[in-house]
Amino acid sequence: METRGLRLVGRYVLLVALAFVVLFPIYVALVAAFKPGNEVFKDPLVPGPFTLDTITDAWEQGNLGRALTNSAVVAVIVTVLQVVTSVLAAYAFSFLRFPGRSIVFGIFVATLLIPFEATVVVNRRTIEDLGWLNSFQGLAVPFVATAFGTFLIRQVFVTLPTDMRDAARMDGLGHWGFLREVALPLVRPSVGALALFSFLATWNQYLWPTVITTEQDWNTVQSGLRALAQANLDQPNLVIAGTIIVAVPIFVILLVFQKQLVRGLTAGAVKG
Amino acid sequence: MRRLRESIVALVMLAPSLVVLGVFVIYPLGRAVVLGQQRCDPSGRTCESNGWDQYVDVFRSNEFQDALWVTLKFALITVPIGLALGVGLAVLADKHLRGIGVFRTIFSSTVATSVAVASLMWLFLLNPAVGVLADWIGGVAKEPGLLRDPDTALWAVSATSVWANLGFTFIVVTAALQGVPRELYESAYVDGANGWGRFVNVTVPMLGPTLLFVTVVLTSRAFQAYGEFDLLTGGGPQGRTTTLTYLIYGNNSIVKSQEGLKAAVAVLLFLLLLIVSAVQFRMVSRRVHYGN
Amino acid sequence: MNRRRAAPFLAGCLVLAACGSGESILEAGNDRATTTPAPIDTTPGQTTLPTIPPTTLPAVLADLPSCTPDALGDGPVTITFWHGLSNELGRALEGLTQQFNDSQDRVRVNLEFQGGYEQTIDKYLQSSPENRPDMVQTPEYALQLMIDTESTVPIESCIQASGYDTSDFIPAALNAYATEGVQWTIPYNVSNPVLFYNKKYFRDAGLDPEDPPITLEEVSEVGRAMQATGAAAYGLAIDTPPDGGGGWFLEQWLGKEGELYSDNDNGRSAPSSRVLWDGPVAVDILTELYSVITDGGGIYVGENPSGQDTLLKLADQTAPASMAISTSAALGPVLSIVGAGTIPGVTADDIGIGPMPSPSGNPGATIGGASLWIVAGKGDDRAAAAWEYIQFLLSPQAQSDWAAATGYVPVREDALTLDPIKTLYEQDPRFRVAFDQLEASPDGPASSGPVLGPLREVRVVAAKAMGEIMLGADPQASLTAAATTANQLVSAYNSSRPPD
Repeated sequence: METRGLRLVGRYVLLVALAFVVLFPIYVALVAAFKPGNEVFKDPLVPGPFTLDTITDAWEQGNLGRALTNSAVVAVIVTVLQVVTSVLAAYAFSFLRFPGRSIVFGIFVATLLIPFEATVVVNRRTIEDLGWLNSFQGLAVPFVATAFGTFLIRQVFVTLPTDMRDAARMDGLGHWGFLREVALPLVRPSVGALALFSFLATWNQYLWPTVITTEQDWNTVQSGLRALAQANLDQPNLVIAGTIIVAVPIFVILLVFQKQLVRGLTAGAVKG
Repeated sequence: MRRLRESIVALVMLAPSLVVLGVFVIYPLGRAVVLGQQRCDPSGRTCESNGWDQYVDVFRSNEFQDALWVTLKFALITVPIGLALGVGLAVLADKHLRGIGVFRTIFSSTVATSVAVASLMWLFLLNPAVGVLADWIGGVAKEPGLLRDPDTALWAVSATSVWANLGFTFIVVTAALQGVPRELYESAYVDGANGWGRFVNVTVPMLGPTLLFVTVVLTSRAFQAYGEFDLLTGGGPQGRTTTLTYLIYGNNSIVKSQEGLKAAVAVLLFLLLLIVSAVQFRMVSRRVHYGN
Repeated sequence: MNRRRAAPFLAGCLVLAACGSGESILEAGNDRATTTPAPIDTTPGQTTLPTIPPTTLPAVLADLPSCTPDALGDGPVTITFWHGLSNELGRALEGLTQQFNDSQDRVRVNLEFQGGYEQTIDKYLQSSPENRPDMVQTPEYALQLMIDTESTVPIESCIQASGYDTSDFIPAALNAYATEGVQWTIPYNVSNPVLFYNKKYFRDAGLDPEDPPITLEEVSEVGRAMQATGAAAYGLAIDTPPDGGGGWFLEQWLGKEGELYSDNDNGRSAPSSRVLWDGPVAVDILTELYSVITDGGGIYVGENPSGQDTLLKLADQTAPASMAISTSAALGPVLSIVGAGTIPGVTADDIGIGPMPSPSGNPGATIGGASLWIVAGKGDDRAAAAWEYIQFLLSPQAQSDWAAATGYVPVREDALTLDPIKTLYEQDPRFRVAFDQLEASPDGPASSGPVLGPLREVRVVAAKAMGEIMLGADPQASLTAAATTANQLVSAYNSSRPPD
């Protein structure tokens, strides 16, 4: 069943063509981002005289350095706390018996179905009343718990055989000990996947940062890009340079953590 | 006694999640449900009840029905196409060829593009006056532009969305494909199945749960999509890209200052998602019941 | 999904679809139908309209927050100013503010850019009193909204309390922000729509590049000449966003024809209850605009949500337009982009500016831009500090610097005697066009433009109707339908406010 000869060539041709199609917008953006402003509308496909000016202008005008920091800090906070709360909650659902367990579980399920849009307005009011506008906690706290993460971790916890728990109990390990010594190491791939998802999702948040930041210094990369794009008559190439600046860190992270992402996704998705 | 101890431990472990979810997910929904039958002044702080029939009227209103239709259409376009393209690319790249890693990286790359990045890149490409694609495609793409013509705008936004989600679909399906035992393909080959036959009879059934997972994620993203509409079309032209989410939050939404009406639309969107999810979960359990 | 499951699902979809009521979402939950206003009967060509009624000034002002400039003392008082100006405009404001802060130490101003006008309004409206800034800049369409927040100190109070002389101000600029005889806020950055055109195409078509068209008929002639000679692909590029060709320009054209946009003198003698643009005058205006597209060489570029499409059409390399109407505030950025050589084949000298064309060619324009508000309830010293800062920003020299740096129009005539604007207007009369246009505006509520609470949403509705008309729909039908929705917006707004 190996592909050989003509089929092989055909497959490569197809792959190259599709790769070209997928990469095309990114390629055009890269070309425009590294061209001087007055060259951007000439020969959009040909990399022109190389310059970092457009990138630096976009960086300054969009305050992207600050935006990148904000996004990074918020994403890290959310990721770490989502992992913590998800692991704890998943443990409770998997290994602990307590009254009302199914009701609480049902509440978690319900929150999965509540779209974010339904909650933004009220959340904004809450954040404002707490005085958390323009702050890291305002950007992060509403997202530090997630039913999705809880279920992802729980899925692995429930596969642990009961005799493992009994053995641990006989060894004198309480719940916290069991969590730390046995359960946690076993869910590491899923935790890795959850962390990556959380980071990406938080990095990509568009609506929330726009809503609760009134000071430009508190923009995240997405709302910063939006601000850059909506500035009156701004040069389009500045905006494009901004997109490259914002996309590069994520691309790097994904390249580095590719294996973890795939492993975690396999654990989560294939099991259904 | 152990039961009590367990309950306390459970409380401690669940408390952070419950507090955050309660304050920031459940309470706002409840408040939104109440808001949805009220009318408020422009500040959104002084509201009074307008009757629960406001929900029914909102649902039946022109603007809601139009936005509902746009939302459904958007999902019906982006989800199947996105799924097909993602699966197609994954299957294509699922061979041990030299340099396949490079192609896999390329096909995954769009997962690095957020909504804003992808939309702005496509805005640049499709700009009728100076965009590259506009010049190439010509015709409507040039005047008034794919994003400005009422008949093509939703398709153009869909293309952006499909492209942006391609990386995600590709990664997930590729990972799942690793789990398909080679022997199944070989026995199908021995039975005389060609490429398409092997795909239909081996790949698709084995990918069942994964495909459903991707469908659920893509659908929920489609229903909640906002950034691409905000950046690419502003809800136009002629309201043809005003989805339910844009109706709630868009700059050019007719109910921009009506907090009560926006809450009603948001709650109805929640109910819609509930129904769609229920249908999708039904499909999952059906498949599980009948086996692969 | 097998067929048995599919059927109820599809049936559900059909039921959903059949559920439409044909009503607007704005009527949801309302128990009584909106009273349909009497049919419109504006007579075309009304030019004699009542001016703003004589003031009931002392009585009204007495009920409003007062302004005590003396409360400032020696300071220093720090105030926060929320504004919506980005990029070069924002930087120009920062420069002036820095200058103010450095020149004295009684007042320190902290600028906070909110991302845009819409964001500034939204955040101001949604903020609780403690979180409000001391000063805020809001665009002209937010006038009624801001008045109704009952959270500001009327500038009139400060003007009177400190005996401020406004005689050099352009009347049209001040009047735009006055209702019921009260000067609520003071205009700061003022723009109005002007015609941008490419002089090179004019020359190529055998037209005088210093003689831009004034009436829509002349615009059509230019367009036809462009296409006949092949100098450019199109004449006028038309768009219909709420803030540009659609919503805003309709107000401009009605104003130029001396027509009211809404009742109660455009909302200036009392809050409006309905719009008036579904009458024959508006139909004629838009029919003529459509004819510019059909046989005047014009092109409709769509709804232009980014705001740049009409001007970019001028820069199109393969099928350019030769004219576009856009805000005068865009002149500075356009010249700098073109001057950098970004647009192949177009130099800064090729850009021509003319007054905004209209059906009749009448002079004048309603103002665009934004104004400055002093927020009440933050303390008399803060209000006084804000008034200090405002007086600086509105001083002749600061206005001259501001206008020269941004392309906005000085709101006072004595600024023109000072450099840098004096030299700029002499050397580059293109920047003067907007100023002259504003000065030529006649008095009266029609030229001052409408004041409506939901003006922004009404503009969205009007823009949508204009878009339909530019695509060929029947003007009267579109306008009537849109006016119905607009009136629902107005009545929803009016009924949401507590009774006075």
